[in-house]
Amino acid sequence: MKRILLLRGAELIVFACLATIPLLVVNPYALGLLTLLAIYGILLIGLDVTVGYLGQVNLGHVAFLGLGAYTAGLVVTKLGLGMGPALLAAMAVGLLLGGLLALPALRLEGPQFALATLSFAALSTTALNELESLTGGAQGLSLSRPPVFGHVLTPPLFYWLCMALLAVVWMLMRNLLASQWGRAFEALRDSPIATDAMGVGTYRHKVAAFALGSGLGGLAGGLYAFNFQYLQPQSFTYDLMIILLLGVVLGGRKSLWGAFVGSSVIVLLPNLLSNRHLFQIFSGLGFAAALAAGLRGLAKQTTRPFQALAPVVAMGLLVVGGFLVENTEDWRKAIFALMLFSVVVGLPEGLMGFLSHFLARLFRVPHAPLPEPSALEDVLPSRPADGAPLLVLEDLKRHFGGVKAVDGLSVSVQSGAIHGLIGPNGSGKSTVVNVISGLYTPSSGRVLLRGSALPTGSLFRVARAGVARTFQNLQLFGELTALENVMVALKGVYRSPLPMVLFGLGRAEERRARADALALLNLIGLRGQALNKAKDLTYGAQRFLEIARALARKPDLLILDEPAAGLAHPDVLQQIEIIKRVHQRGITIILIEHHMDVVSELCSTVTVLDGGKVIAEGAPDEVKRHPKVVEAYLGQPPQPASPESDPQPGGPAPQPA
Amino acid sequence: MNVQIIGQMAVSGALMGLVYALIAYGFQLTYATSKSINFGQGELVMVSAFFSLTLTNLGLPYWAMIPGGLLFGALMGLIVERAAVRLALEQKSEGWILLTIILGLFFFSSAENIWGRDDRPFPTPISADPIHVLGVDVTRLELSVAVGVIAIMGAIELFKRRTLLGKAFEAVSADRDAAELMGISATRTVMLSYALSGAVAALAGILVSPITTVGPTMASALILKAFSVAVVAGLDSGFGVVLIGMCLGALESLASFYLGSGWREAPGLVLLILALALRPNGVFGKATIRKV
Amino acid sequence: MSRQIVQGSLLLCAALGLQAGDTVKLALTGPFSGGSAPMGVSTRDGAKLAIAEINAAGGIQVGGRKMKIEIIERDDEAKNERGALIAQELAAMGDLSGVIGTVNTGVCLAGDKHLQEKGITKIICPAAGSASMTQWANKPDRAGVKDLSIFRFAAHDGIQSAMVVEEAINRHFTKVAVIFDSTNYGVSGRDDMLDQIKKQGNKLTVVAQEKFNIGDKDMTAQLLRAKSAGAQAVLIWAIGPELAAVSNGMAKIGMKAPLIGGWTLSMSNYIDNAGKNGNGTLMPQTFIEEPITPKAKAFIDGYHLTYKVGRIPSAVAAAQGYDAVYIFAAAVKQAGSTDTHKIKEALEDLKEPVKGVIATWNHPYTKWDPADVTTHEAFRREQAVMGMVQDGHVVFGNAADKARLIKEAAGTTPKAAKPTTKPAAKPKTK
Repeated sequence: MKRILLLRGAELIVFACLATIPLLVVNPYALGLLTLLAIYGILLIGLDVTVGYLGQVNLGHVAFLGLGAYTAGLVVTKLGLGMGPALLAAMAVGLLLGGLLALPALRLEGPQFALATLSFAALSTTALNELESLTGGAQGLSLSRPPVFGHVLTPPLFYWLCMALLAVVWMLMRNLLASQWGRAFEALRDSPIATDAMGVGTYRHKVAAFALGSGLGGLAGGLYAFNFQYLQPQSFTYDLMIILLLGVVLGGRKSLWGAFVGSSVIVLLPNLLSNRHLFQIFSGLGFAAALAAGLRGLAKQTTRPFQALAPVVAMGLLVVGGFLVENTEDWRKAIFALMLFSVVVGLPEGLMGFLSHFLARLFRVPHAPLPEPSALEDVLPSRPADGAPLLVLEDLKRHFGGVKAVDGLSVSVQSGAIHGLIGPNGSGKSTVVNVISGLYTPSSGRVLLRGSALPTGSLFRVARAGVARTFQNLQLFGELTALENVMVALKGVYRSPLPMVLFGLGRAEERRARADALALLNLIGLRGQALNKAKDLTYGAQRFLEIARALARKPDLLILDEPAAGLAHPDVLQQIEIIKRVHQRGITIILIEHHMDVVSELCSTVTVLDGGKVIAEGAPDEVKRHPKVVEAYLGQPPQPASPESDPQPGGPAPQPA
Repeated sequence: MNVQIIGQMAVSGALMGLVYALIAYGFQLTYATSKSINFGQGELVMVSAFFSLTLTNLGLPYWAMIPGGLLFGALMGLIVERAAVRLALEQKSEGWILLTIILGLFFFSSAENIWGRDDRPFPTPISADPIHVLGVDVTRLELSVAVGVIAIMGAIELFKRRTLLGKAFEAVSADRDAAELMGISATRTVMLSYALSGAVAALAGILVSPITTVGPTMASALILKAFSVAVVAGLDSGFGVVLIGMCLGALESLASFYLGSGWREAPGLVLLILALALRPNGVFGKATIRKV
Repeated sequence: MSRQIVQGSLLLCAALGLQAGDTVKLALTGPFSGGSAPMGVSTRDGAKLAIAEINAAGGIQVGGRKMKIEIIERDDEAKNERGALIAQELAAMGDLSGVIGTVNTGVCLAGDKHLQEKGITKIICPAAGSASMTQWANKPDRAGVKDLSIFRFAAHDGIQSAMVVEEAINRHFTKVAVIFDSTNYGVSGRDDMLDQIKKQGNKLTVVAQEKFNIGDKDMTAQLLRAKSAGAQAVLIWAIGPELAAVSNGMAKIGMKAPLIGGWTLSMSNYIDNAGKNGNGTLMPQTFIEEPITPKAKAFIDGYHLTYKVGRIPSAVAAAQGYDAVYIFAAAVKQAGSTDTHKIKEALEDLKEPVKGVIATWNHPYTKWDPADVTTHEAFRREQAVMGMVQDGHVVFGNAADKARLIKEAAGTTPKAAKPTTKPAAKPKTK
């Protein structure tokens, strides 16, 4: 309760203060700055969706500002409609074009994504400039604020409109980002493969996130148009884009407050630079802060030397420059660069990320309390095994060029069994798993689940069909907590449609999801670490968490890809215990494993692969004595007549971690 | 007349395209070793060109200035690697994208204040008078660009194949972890690649400056096209950039002739977005197998 | 956080407002960085030179005492939104006497309304396309403003385009290509030129209309089209170094046609980069960097010495900035006040002639009339001459102009004298 009070209280106080300013201060310039602060606030919240939550460097956001601004301008000047429709249209254009751009950009990561968005921005500037008959081209587009209910908005009224919209956007985004949607965005950033494999769907979430961010960009553009009342294409170029990125990164990613702080910095910085004394004071403070943080980091050995020293050097340059340089405005971009550099290197979480830790300690803001876990029976109802074949592979093949990684595999997995899949390195085990789970499309052959064909070539659709898997090389969502990792994957809980989520009406299912996820964490013994970030867990705990997350899919078939790889002995024992518990719920398991003792302990049937083919199948003890198996593992043919005696190294299956 | 114009447009476009290709080649060098590229490469081109201009103004002859300019470019490349790339690579984050953009901004502003905001001519002994080849006007200056581009790319490729250091480079490109196990320092190789990339950027600046003049914004248009070329060809396509660069340059020229000069950039940008969507690894790029 | 912002902005306002008192506060704005920086910086530096002279002489006589000029400098980066914010900031200052500056038309369109709202006197200098003044004038669909505090001190595009077209006709060309850049300046320049061609009797046929973007270096496509259409001369309107790319491109494809265009062709970034290909280029000028009069010599030497250059980056801009300050100072003196509204009224009826480097300004402005923008325009056709690029320098394109200016400065009848009473009686140039 205290937490809610503090967090909501801070928001209320800030917005109330901002709203009363026009009543107290009659300074049109200050009002102009504050209006811009609100507009950029909305813009940066939008940018933060892609840069912060999706974790992609988006260089196209400025285009949506421009397109939104022009849409609003054209709706008013050409169609003669009012401000409301204009703002809606601006937002719609942002949503639509954002969604469209997301389609080709979908498959892209990192630098390619940045480049695609950069090109889009350049293209849209070209279009605005060239479509002279529509946009006025380089001559620009002049517009005036159309009256609302018969009144032309005065500057204070327009300011209140912008603030009100910022408040609404703030509230809706807070609800959305705290929901399954926000978690899915972050999951996507940390591991797109796992996001698909957990049935969350990278596709629609990436499109949704990008469209949403762009829609907010469009809305901000509409307000921008009514604020400046004069538009030119060259206002929306790379220069502004860099400033916007500065805002998000400096303020702090993944934080509404960060966007707000960032927008304040953007708006106030030019003023700061035009006053020399103020600039010297601020750069001095910055230097002191960097020095203090750097020394503290070095003393506690929490940061690398470079991370501690580089910001000090950069801020030092700023201080020295402040005294040497005659006109600080001339060096504006260099000053931006130095500040940004210090923050990106020294405070990767931005000002707000840093401040929020500090404030949380200062005011002793408690974590949100955890509910009681749901009953396991409700989350993962035990199901009877019917002994019928659950999964059947028929003559499955997967070739990579000339390499026959899987070469005509036919296996049948009984319902309720723990079916072992073993073989030497490069025998094709991992490829089989990747084909079943949809990462690879089979070259030929069929995969049947309960007699009907399993979708192929799509992790997402396979996951939706009831197959869950873990990853040999961990694919956890590192920045999410253990609890959130499980919540993201949870099946059958999130039913509220998007509008309800936006208005904060999905809280009940959110509570239910937390309780359910806790029950699964309880099952693997991680309930006490529910609120730790996955990347901060021990290696063993991360392996267990992979299983809990897969269980959240409530799967018919669970594929465990080397769950004991790299584990210390006590952890191996615990892992065996966990798998047994899962098996007791009646879930069929395929286990790929190197530890023979684990396999012997758990599996009822074992299939041995070599060179992409089955060389033996049966109970663990029988298989172990099978001559071909001995040969494959030890490389010594007991019988000289064997044709494929050497295990094939260099197959596409990766080395175990 | 029409055929002649098309020829003229295509040739002069393609020759400019070679400059895009050269800058794109610089991206390839660093991408091979570190899977990162310098988003501020355009500023490297510009700063190196300014530095070379200063050398020339100090009285250095053209041919003596070139190595100086290349060294400066290599040094700047090393600074980028140290300040913007290394930390992010160690943390396996994509922070380098932002950091290289930031560093570029810093170089830009510094150049603006050190060398001024004006565009300036770049003296060269190579004549800018046109010669007629098959009805097409080409200047010696443009031909020198082509020769320079091919020469440095050839030299670096030879270096990679023939020298021990070059083989280390190839090894790290092929498999960073395995190369480290063999005792090759990946960090040093990445440094080497950034230095080479910086030198390539400097050469691009020196070659193109006599045609375009030197100024703080000289590379802003170039760099976007170099990005397009690198991505359309594929970031590991080797000489593929030359072909794509020339095609893009010619296409651009023809587009500005037939569609109107305002649309000059459009085909390159559309091509880039399409290429990214259809072949994220580029036309000549190798498809990667997703591993988990 | 919000408290911080409020405090910050209050602090800023306070810091800026505290020093009120015995100075005349004059804001100099313009693009001091980015592509059009040479113009902005030259204007600023020319203006600062004049301010330094005035301050060295003790300041302006305001009422009973001498007051120095205090400079407030703002870089609008040629960006509209920066311009709008700066205008808001200046408008909110309260004790500002006036503003001189702005190069880009877009910046005027986005920002000047805030100054006009508060009635703050602004002299637009050195350039800005026609729209920066016509936005206040009567339009077919709505009436202009009744009272205007915005003045312009530049040979507006109307004068310049008329001269460009005239020059082409005088040189007996019949087919011309019109080339322009895709900025507001370039596009409105194209419109003005086409308009003038019509007005001057359609003696020129426009065989090609070509556009290029800022940053373009390869103009082959545009020029080939112009060449193949048979253009005898190229009329050009653009800012910045791209002009040089046009000149060089013409040399490359062997197109021998003279380049005639706006005054930006006199800027160093054109002259230097075009080199010998620039010789013979013609453009209207308000000031030519030749010490033909003692006043001009003093100004040129002063500029070279103060800013350590051998040649003014944009002599026209610098001279206009210099003269604008003197005109402004004369208005302050006449008003006997630092109040911007009184200064505006004085500007509209300047009694004493002001000796500048470009000309001696006799009653440059009159009371604003929304039907006639020239009431707030200082320049007439007479103050402009044709300049020509010759071996890295701008020289008089026409010897008669040079002789006329020398004669004028020697004190025989100042030609720019205008009737001082009714705007209706003024010579119309547009």
